[in-house]
Amino acid sequence: MVLSPMRHEIVSGPSFAVLKVGLQRGDVLTAEAGSMVSRFPRVKMRTRLNAPRGAGFLGVLGAFVTALIRKTVAGESLMVNDFSCDEGGEVTLAPAFSGSVAVRRLNGGRILLTRGSFLACTGDLTLRMRWGGLRGLLAREGLFFMEVSGTGELFYTSYGGTLEVPVNGTLTVDNGHIVAFDPELDFRIRTPGGGLLGLLASGEGLVVEFSGRGTVVLQSRNVSSLTSWLAAWLP
Amino acid sequence: MQIDLQHRPSAAMAHVVLASGESLMAESGAMVGMTPNVAIQTGSGGLMKGLKRLFGGESFFRNTFTAEGGTPGELYLAATLPGDLVVLDVGPRGYFLQSHAYVASSTAVDVDTRVGGFKTFFAGEGLFVLKTRGQGQLIAGAFGAIEEVQVRGEYIVDTGHLVAWEDSLQFRIAKAADGWIASWLSGEGLVCHFSGNGTLWMQTRNPSEYGQQLGRRLPPRES
Amino acid sequence: MQTEVLQQPDFSMVKVTFARPGEALVATAGTMVSRDTSVQMKTGLRGGLLASAKRKLLGGESLFLNTFTATLPGESVYLAPAAEGDVAEFNVRPGESLMIHSGAFLASESTVKLDTRWGGAKGFFGAGMFLLKAEGEGKVMVSSYGALHPVDIRGAGFICDNENIVAFTDGLEYQVRRIGGMKSLLLSGEGLVCHFQGRGRLWMQTRNPSRFAAWVHPFRRVRSRSSGGD
Repeated sequence: MVLSPMRHEIVSGPSFAVLKVGLQRGDVLTAEAGSMVSRFPRVKMRTRLNAPRGAGFLGVLGAFVTALIRKTVAGESLMVNDFSCDEGGEVTLAPAFSGSVAVRRLNGGRILLTRGSFLACTGDLTLRMRWGGLRGLLAREGLFFMEVSGTGELFYTSYGGTLEVPVNGTLTVDNGHIVAFDPELDFRIRTPGGGLLGLLASGEGLVVEFSGRGTVVLQSRNVSSLTSWLAAWLP
Repeated sequence: MQIDLQHRPSAAMAHVVLASGESLMAESGAMVGMTPNVAIQTGSGGLMKGLKRLFGGESFFRNTFTAEGGTPGELYLAATLPGDLVVLDVGPRGYFLQSHAYVASSTAVDVDTRVGGFKTFFAGEGLFVLKTRGQGQLIAGAFGAIEEVQVRGEYIVDTGHLVAWEDSLQFRIAKAADGWIASWLSGEGLVCHFSGNGTLWMQTRNPSEYGQQLGRRLPPRES
Repeated sequence: MQTEVLQQPDFSMVKVTFARPGEALVATAGTMVSRDTSVQMKTGLRGGLLASAKRKLLGGESLFLNTFTATLPGESVYLAPAAEGDVAEFNVRPGESLMIHSGAFLASESTVKLDTRWGGAKGFFGAGMFLLKAEGEGKVMVSSYGALHPVDIRGAGFICDNENIVAFTDGLEYQVRRIGGMKSLLLSGEGLVCHFQGRGRLWMQTRNPSRFAAWVHPFRRVRSRSSGGD
């Protein structure tokens, strides 16, 4: 598959960033359903189930079941949209929440991404879900991490600003603030301390304890905190 | 009337200075703060607007703020969601505005809420389209940053991302994809096909997308 | 203790670095982003377990405070408020106390006294919020929904929508009023406002949480009669 990096531009950052991608003949941009802001009329959009490309029937079925679970638990979309254009055109994407958009070019490497941070990707990337463990059941954000590998460009979003924090030893991070991390890091999902009572009493969500050497990408806002805060004001 | 936009682009607030005796109309709830010599009068609204209010979303009642006491008055106004503000000059041209984008305007700017043919514009979310007439300034607010686009020919925009557009543009509503099922699956809502020449203001975030994502994570409501 | 505000102004967060073991930071529950694992976190159940549980279940923001204590010099904690907006740092000193909207309090050095039951604390806000007095000596960090806008109060004074108040200097006179009459309350328009007079400073936030809540309300799921939930 011929791979030429697509022309892209991240504008209106850092707080309400949008991604503009220029499509040439043969380019395909795979984007999270519901993220389109605008496009040139000649850009084509094809909706499909979020299964790895080239997956067989069982692969698609497995992806469908996983997607259904994700939709029920975390409300994520089942579908993705593939944008392409024969004559050359532009499409603009934006996430639902405020914050930034960043790009990571992978050349055969890997990165682990929180599922909700995925915006779009191009090239020959494999998106595989990794299970966060039983404790991950308690944390919507931590239920699945997405492992992205291969060659291509990954566009991801963060709610708020992004901060890269190096891990040298161990670092405890609130689950809702994780965007991505190096797969070389070991991670364990834990309650913040004090067991289940501590979980309720401290007001903190689940935490992830990272150990080893690598970088964790954090976002400066957290949807769970936002909803708890907002709940107090609701009629 | 002097308008100064501060804290752009994400938490924008308008600082308005009214000359003694001068008035401004603003969407109810838009006031952040003001000097004590500014008097507020709640708009009557009328039956039609009252009905519109009942269909959810924000009301279109406006308050009139007037500087009294022989001295100028100051007023700080803001929109509900994080984002930017823009001041439009009404007079030389007219504008169409998404109803939630309206923040405030000079009293000589007339805002028509009975714009025909727009029932399905925003897929039933209690939003409607406003048309401006008259002369003066209008402050519009966005969810997110504002992208100004000069349309020369054709352009397609998701309706949830529309703030305002000049009345020189032609437009028609369409489904995002071919066929209703494909549109629904794609997750995209309705789109607006613009043609002609004119300026269009888009917001970089979609309020209904945000509201749905946030709403499903909140405790359910009684009614 | 060193503090650094990052990601300003829209998604501000604070990095607190401890200088010595034993130094402690008091922060609103739910605001920790990350910490060196060796920093001790202790949960404060202010008002007793039952009260805390009740507040938590009702979804109210309580004055739930967690205390982070350093065990080694140079350890750090990152904090972020729930709402989008900014974070500002103040230094309180004897005679220079700060009145803070309880929802805006982010964190303070453990040397600062947080008084929640001083006279006049209630009746200001709805939703279980109240006015907090921060006094003593030390750093206090507050957060704003939207941008933080300071207003110098003098002369005739200034009127501010209650839900846009973040903090103000102790010593200002203030009077809570309802403006616009009944109609505006129904329209979630201007309801309670505060008329500040005297000399001092007020910090407003450019976004209003109760308006935001009213906006998001129609997007909530409707509770089904049968099971009372999803």
